[in-house]
Amino acid sequence: MSKLPLKLLMAGGAFFAVTFTVYFFNLDMKLTSKIEPLLIKHYDTMPRNTYL
Amino acid sequence: MKDLKHLLYFENLLQNAGNELIDQAKSDGGVCVAYVCENTPEPLLNLGNAFSIRLRAPRTNSMEMGTYYMTSFLCEYSRALLERAIEGGYNFSDCIIAPDGCSMMNRCVENMELLKTMSADNDKFFYEHMEIPMKADDNGLNLYVLQCKNHILTPLHDTFGIDVSDQAIRKAVAEHNRMCRLIRAIGEFRKGSEPAITGYEYAVITLATYAAPQALIMDRLEETLEELKKRKPDKTKYRARVVVVGSEVDDAEFIKLVEESGAYVCADRFCFGSFPGRDLIELTDDEDALTQICRQYMYRGQCPRMMNMEKMLGRRQYVNDLAREYNADGIIYEQVKFCDPWAYERMIGTHVLNEQFGYPVLSVDRPYNIDTSAGQMRTRVQAFVESIEIKKIQGGAD
Amino acid sequence: MAKEIGKDRLGDFFAEGSRVRSRREWRGLKDTLYDYSRWLGIMFTLAKFVAKPRNVKAMFRYRWMANYLAVPMMVDRHTQGLRGEYLRICHIEQDLIIEDVAKLLDSLFRGDRRIGNDEEFSKKVVLVDENEMTAVMMGFPTLKGLSRETPSTYISVLLNQRAACHYIDVAQQFGLAGDVCPMPEAEAGVSIDDDAPVLGACAIQCNTTCDGSMLGNGVISMRLELKDGIPCFQLAAPLRHREDDVQEYAAQEIRNAIAFIEDKTGEKWDWNYYFECAKRVNIATKNRLNWLEMNKTDYPQVFGSNLALYTETNYMAICGKVPAFVKADEKITALAEQAYKAKKRAAKEYRHRAIVWGVQSHFYMDFLAWLLNCWGIVPLTDMLSMVSTRELVEEDTPENREQAYYDMAWLTENMIMRNRTHGGYKVLLDELWEFCEEFNADMVILWEHMSCKALDGMHGQFEAKAREHGIHLVWVSHDLFDPRVVSRQGVREQINNYMRTVMREEPLDPTLEVLPDEESW
Repeated sequence: MSKLPLKLLMAGGAFFAVTFTVYFFNLDMKLTSKIEPLLIKHYDTMPRNTYL
Repeated sequence: MKDLKHLLYFENLLQNAGNELIDQAKSDGGVCVAYVCENTPEPLLNLGNAFSIRLRAPRTNSMEMGTYYMTSFLCEYSRALLERAIEGGYNFSDCIIAPDGCSMMNRCVENMELLKTMSADNDKFFYEHMEIPMKADDNGLNLYVLQCKNHILTPLHDTFGIDVSDQAIRKAVAEHNRMCRLIRAIGEFRKGSEPAITGYEYAVITLATYAAPQALIMDRLEETLEELKKRKPDKTKYRARVVVVGSEVDDAEFIKLVEESGAYVCADRFCFGSFPGRDLIELTDDEDALTQICRQYMYRGQCPRMMNMEKMLGRRQYVNDLAREYNADGIIYEQVKFCDPWAYERMIGTHVLNEQFGYPVLSVDRPYNIDTSAGQMRTRVQAFVESIEIKKIQGGAD
Repeated sequence: MAKEIGKDRLGDFFAEGSRVRSRREWRGLKDTLYDYSRWLGIMFTLAKFVAKPRNVKAMFRYRWMANYLAVPMMVDRHTQGLRGEYLRICHIEQDLIIEDVAKLLDSLFRGDRRIGNDEEFSKKVVLVDENEMTAVMMGFPTLKGLSRETPSTYISVLLNQRAACHYIDVAQQFGLAGDVCPMPEAEAGVSIDDDAPVLGACAIQCNTTCDGSMLGNGVISMRLELKDGIPCFQLAAPLRHREDDVQEYAAQEIRNAIAFIEDKTGEKWDWNYYFECAKRVNIATKNRLNWLEMNKTDYPQVFGSNLALYTETNYMAICGKVPAFVKADEKITALAEQAYKAKKRAAKEYRHRAIVWGVQSHFYMDFLAWLLNCWGIVPLTDMLSMVSTRELVEEDTPENREQAYYDMAWLTENMIMRNRTHGGYKVLLDELWEFCEEFNADMVILWEHMSCKALDGMHGQFEAKAREHGIHLVWVSHDLFDPRVVSRQGVREQINNYMRTVMREEPLDPTLEVLPDEESW
């Protein structure tokens, strides 16, 4: 039982460390900026009913 | 064809914003009511000794002052009008009535008001801005009637003592209809395969009815009609018949250019044109004239700012009906540069008239003064005419 | 890296050719942890959104959904340089807006025939324009008023400066002239490009903001009504909204719109719900007026995009229908009053007090933050925040029910931006100088949206009046949704040039003068 809070603390610490690193170094936006061109390529090749 | 006797006279009337007939009417005690938009019911501006003049700015080259006040992003028509107003070109007018129909015309007249272009030396001069309906329905009609009362009839009566009674309105409608009958009858000569009147001549004559006091050109219109009945048409030199649709065309040179490029302009569905501007107004005795006028203007109007579905679909149907009636081979959709309403209407109309109704369509925007890009326009129209000819040769196949 | 306001070199975060910034700001431990916690909250909102398979399907179906990858960056752009209460105000607003937009998207895709195809839900949906006051929905608690244009164009451009370019090009390829306002042009392009969700029992289109909006709706309704079978009602809001003789027309349009919705959805107007919404609208108005009063003093608190973006959302899109915005208002007011009492400022130096007039460059909404951080120009208020201050009737009585139609009509006529660009020159031109006096402003930053003919048409008069009043008038030209015409740097240059050559000043943060954000979201 007494190990659980410690484990939780460590997990929380790790979560904080990872997420704060992502946050501070803007890694989330850096990642999504790499995804965007792939999506654009997908949209460009999709069939569409283009009319008024 | 033998020249029409009064054509040169009508052409001369159109050379400047003002003309000798305006001067004559004013010296006879007339009140000149300037207006800028087809949504202002014309008969109401011609009550008693009032006469309407739709403002134009012929032979405009430089628009520097108008552009300074309104920037180069606004339509050239609105800037040209402001330029001419600043130059004193509209000092013949006694008042101006403008609907808040499109932003550009609204700003044009507001600038005139703020700069006191026509009112600096005229204490009685008034500027009226009216709301006009955006949909043709009962609510729109109520608005239209109220706005006409508040912004046309009341100011004319209060400022100039003009009789705005129902009787006076009916009398004005009768005169208006007399003029419209003549224009319509003259226009009928465009229907034949060898028309007795060119589109250019017709445009000049119609423009004259907007640019000069109508009562003072009536005799000449009647004579012109009689002349046309006897006129021997030339063997047609035109290679296609077109309906011109779009925003204001107050310069017959544009129509001349189209015809010189091989396309006969058989019908004119543009502001300053005869469709629907020269439709008769039918009055009955069971309702006041004002309401009937407003109803007819509202329902027949082809202005793109009317936004209910029936009107939107109706505008393209109207063009189709005109094209059938006048045996048109193609449609030219035109707009003055930077006109927002017609930018959209032109896009939609071009597609609908082509894809749904099967007409070849030329879609162009143009400067207010066609002389500044005559060569380009000529090329476009010539190419369009050739494409129509090719289509005819191929039996109508795309 | 700095805890204090104005100590950071904010321009250093940008890298040439990059979509994104090199890192986020260090704002001191407390503010950074706060910002981080809000970022986590946003991530959670986004995660909840993508946890639904239909939303992922929508991501792959609709091009404009790609812009939502940039949501956290939009928040970063608006929080740049902020600390303390200002940071918290911004987050309260932005986070709530993000949540609200996530719900909007989720609802759209739920009912969309191509995605969730929930027909029963779709029958309860009324489509509304982006540029439309949603007052007519204030009495329909069981219906959802959803806007397709808001997420596809309006918010997309807030997220990504290039979001609308593809749709503008589509519309122009179809023959639309390039000088029209790019907002309705892009909206029309979305429709033409088959990129709008298809759902709803009916649609209420409105002629606001302007000619362009009205006509763009015509393009949209071609497909919506004729092809998709969704009946459209065109709600006409009179242009001359200050005149008494148009109000009956406007009120009747509201009655007709409500009758249309009742007919198409089978739902009945609920006066109880309406008056509850009306109360919330009045609360929002009071709060906004309170903030504006503070801005007239030496210690403005809710200004810049904290005021602009939030007012646009709360006044127009929400229009009293969402209680969470009342709570947000309360928190914002509490923070503002706290900072006001402590005489706090959001930048190290306030050099100029400015009224921002005209229509903002939508692809550069955080320009207001840049004005403050780079040149110490405080954007006290903006044209889009100077909206109706009229109190609506709140009590349910027979007379008030009748008045309510006029109130709803008034709101519709006085839609954001439109209440100034239309209605005569007084509301656009004359009242600006009155506000300059009230707010003790020495400068006007005049956004000249080049396709906004209603505003451009008064260009010369603005100059004449500025000279008359002795106010510095700084023109900033742009094309609203299209950064290819005037880029963000092009926008900044117009201010930079004026500040250096006319005002002969040096920037507070020189790293912000020239930013390599051409490629940036």
